[in-house]
Amino acid sequence: MVLENLGTSLRDTLKRIARANRIDEKTLSEVIREIQRALLSADVNVALVQHLSRRIKERASTEQLSEKLNPRQQIVNIVYQELVALLGDPVKLPLTRHIVLMVGLQGSGKTTTTAKLARYFQKKGLKSAVVCADTYRPGAYDQLSQLCERINVAFYGERESRNAIEITAHGVEQLKRYDVILVDTAGRHALESELVLEMKGINDIARADQRFLVLDSGIGQQASEQAKAFDEAIGLTGVIVTKLDGTAKGGGALSAVAEVGTGIAFIGAGETVDDLEKFEPDRFISRLLGMGDIQTLVEMIEEEPPIEAEDAEAMLKGDFTLKDMYKQMQAIGKMGPLRKIVQMLPLGSLGVEIPDDALESTKETLERFKVVMDSMTDEELEHPRVIRSSRIKRIARGSGVSADYVRELLKYHKTMQKAMKGVRSQKEMQKFLKRQGLQ
Amino acid sequence: MFDSLKKRLNQFKDSISKQENELDEAEFENADVTATNKGAEEARSERQSLDATRPLGQDPDKPQLQSARSLKERDTSAVAKQGTSKAFFEREIKQKDLEEPLWELEMALLESDVAMSVTEGIVRTVSDDLVGKKRKWRQDVGGLVNDALRDGIERVLDVNGLDFDSFIQRAAKPVTIVFTGINGTGKTTTIAKIAHRLKFQGYSIVLAAGDTYRAGALEQIERHAENLGVKLIKHQQGADPAAVIYDAVQYARAKHKDVVLADTAGRIHTNVNLMNQLKKIERVINADLVIFVDEALAGNDAVERALQFNTAMPIDGSILTKVDADSKGGAAISIARATGKPILFLGVGQGYEDIIKFDPEWLINRLLEEEST
Repeated sequence: MVLENLGTSLRDTLKRIARANRIDEKTLSEVIREIQRALLSADVNVALVQHLSRRIKERASTEQLSEKLNPRQQIVNIVYQELVALLGDPVKLPLTRHIVLMVGLQGSGKTTTTAKLARYFQKKGLKSAVVCADTYRPGAYDQLSQLCERINVAFYGERESRNAIEITAHGVEQLKRYDVILVDTAGRHALESELVLEMKGINDIARADQRFLVLDSGIGQQASEQAKAFDEAIGLTGVIVTKLDGTAKGGGALSAVAEVGTGIAFIGAGETVDDLEKFEPDRFISRLLGMGDIQTLVEMIEEEPPIEAEDAEAMLKGDFTLKDMYKQMQAIGKMGPLRKIVQMLPLGSLGVEIPDDALESTKETLERFKVVMDSMTDEELEHPRVIRSSRIKRIARGSGVSADYVRELLKYHKTMQKAMKGVRSQKEMQKFLKRQGLQ
Repeated sequence: MFDSLKKRLNQFKDSISKQENELDEAEFENADVTATNKGAEEARSERQSLDATRPLGQDPDKPQLQSARSLKERDTSAVAKQGTSKAFFEREIKQKDLEEPLWELEMALLESDVAMSVTEGIVRTVSDDLVGKKRKWRQDVGGLVNDALRDGIERVLDVNGLDFDSFIQRAAKPVTIVFTGINGTGKTTTIAKIAHRLKFQGYSIVLAAGDTYRAGALEQIERHAENLGVKLIKHQQGADPAAVIYDAVQYARAKHKDVVLADTAGRIHTNVNLMNQLKKIERVINADLVIFVDEALAGNDAVERALQFNTAMPIDGSILTKVDADSKGGAAISIARATGKPILFLGVGQGYEDIIKFDPEWLINRLLEEEST
């Protein structure tokens, strides 16, 4: 809705100048206003937006136009460069022994993120352990210990203690044979001086190598002020942005890192412990500006899942079996909410709008299809042709759906098979165009 | 809260006034240069028409008096000539002239965390109200702008005027109130504050531990119930929240309690299953009031999530929390606009009594009063 409008209006403005040789003052002001709108509605700090637009205006009117770029690309390029500069370098975590301290406002998602991060190190082959230094929120101890148990990560906490600094000291000592120790702390905001003092104490004891601020992606104009206060207290080394599975754009996080001069380490976008993604400036910026980016989608598909090279080959050859479809669905499932994926598709420019209902039902359909396919044998998955009425009955019973539903699935598969053939020919077309220097 | 917005709104008024006056000057100069000779003739004809239309023996109304006086002067001196045209001067406020000040207004609202779509709505109303308004020479536009701003903000804030206290008073007992919202906005704390408030007003309260998901949620609301001395109905963790709330309502009926305050687990609005769970609660409980809780720190996303929650379980009013940590307050305007329902209370601190009633009229008056000091 709102956000898409925004992206569209920025895109339209940019489109208008695409073919112009020079950008006159008036057009430039218009473009900059649209960029401002986009950034402001993504919750980027107003002062920062003003600073940015001054920079963009200055650069756009003084810098020599590169011959390779048209005016539109030129401006987008400047905007992009300026935003990247603000974002700082993505924080790279060394895969060596170290201690991580997690801090943030109440309700920003510290505890969940702590578990996700422990899981991340674990997947990288490091032994990770977690200390619960949140002595305020009732149930924090249980929440973290349960999460750790679920992912087989060592946990240290003292249920009855009210002294977070002491717990941290004990925990770090007790867990010193682990590679990475993560210390989770209670939520606090900048004005709570006692809690800020406690945080300093914990930091002194833990002597953490990384001090991450966990920031809700939905936060508005307050983000930079809060980040500044945390930074002044303990010196942040990075920011983790959470709840990006919602609809917030995360401009607050940009303002925060710009304020304290650090980078974004990770983004959290989901409920499970695996929903922690490395931060990618390109993707983040296109979300921020509301400009769909097909490239991003392609990257996501390439990244997930481990579709074997020959599988991909087979898909494109037209031997798109039910197994391939299953893998594809898994891949889509892992990419997060369909809404998000669709946002990245250039549908807006094609004038296509997908109603939210349709997106949701699509997601549900995919989930149910997967369940149905779980009731099929390998042979059936490889050779869908063998599925006749008696098999359909069995599959329907096994997966708790009607026989018609199974038939629907098979029909869907046929359509997809055809579509994949289409993709193949498209790819060839693209290759051809490239050879001809047309694209 | 709202201090910075107020300041910016005043700046907006000033900048329009200043600009319009400058435009008057400019247009007048122009007219003078291009039609120097016409002035005298016009004046003559004006005088004739005035003489013709003014009824004899009747008191001339003010503008006519002014005009007549200046006309007289005009006949005698060049300086007075100007005065004459000024008296008859009338200029329309044009869209083009408003662009810059309206942009400032837009920035001011955005800076206060009013979401983009809502901001645009307010700016449009203000613009529609102002464009085409005729004004006399140097007539103060402050009043016009004030009316336009009031109109713009009132349309957003002054929605259906549900009064919480009188609603509770009049509704058949027990009154069931369900609280919804995303994670970490302060639903449980708000429930405790409302319980405290209602108890003070003499109502008997039952709390329903409808957050059966988050670890520690049960303990939290239990502690509040203990502190406040009110009954808590709870099941185990993982239980069906609809069932918990249903039981609480049954209990309230049996024991003739006045109000049931039902907690729910925080949920992200893009999670279809959890939003469906809200729909189920709505079906089973059919609450008298659904209150959406969000935090004052929220930015543009406040609109989107308010819309989504409103779709799953129609909201009757909202409560904005953590106002003490916030100096902007635009989220209140955004949420009221998105839901079309009033903001009922503001949470302003950690204590049970730290909740204040929200009055749109008071806010608008405060926002628009002149900065005389």
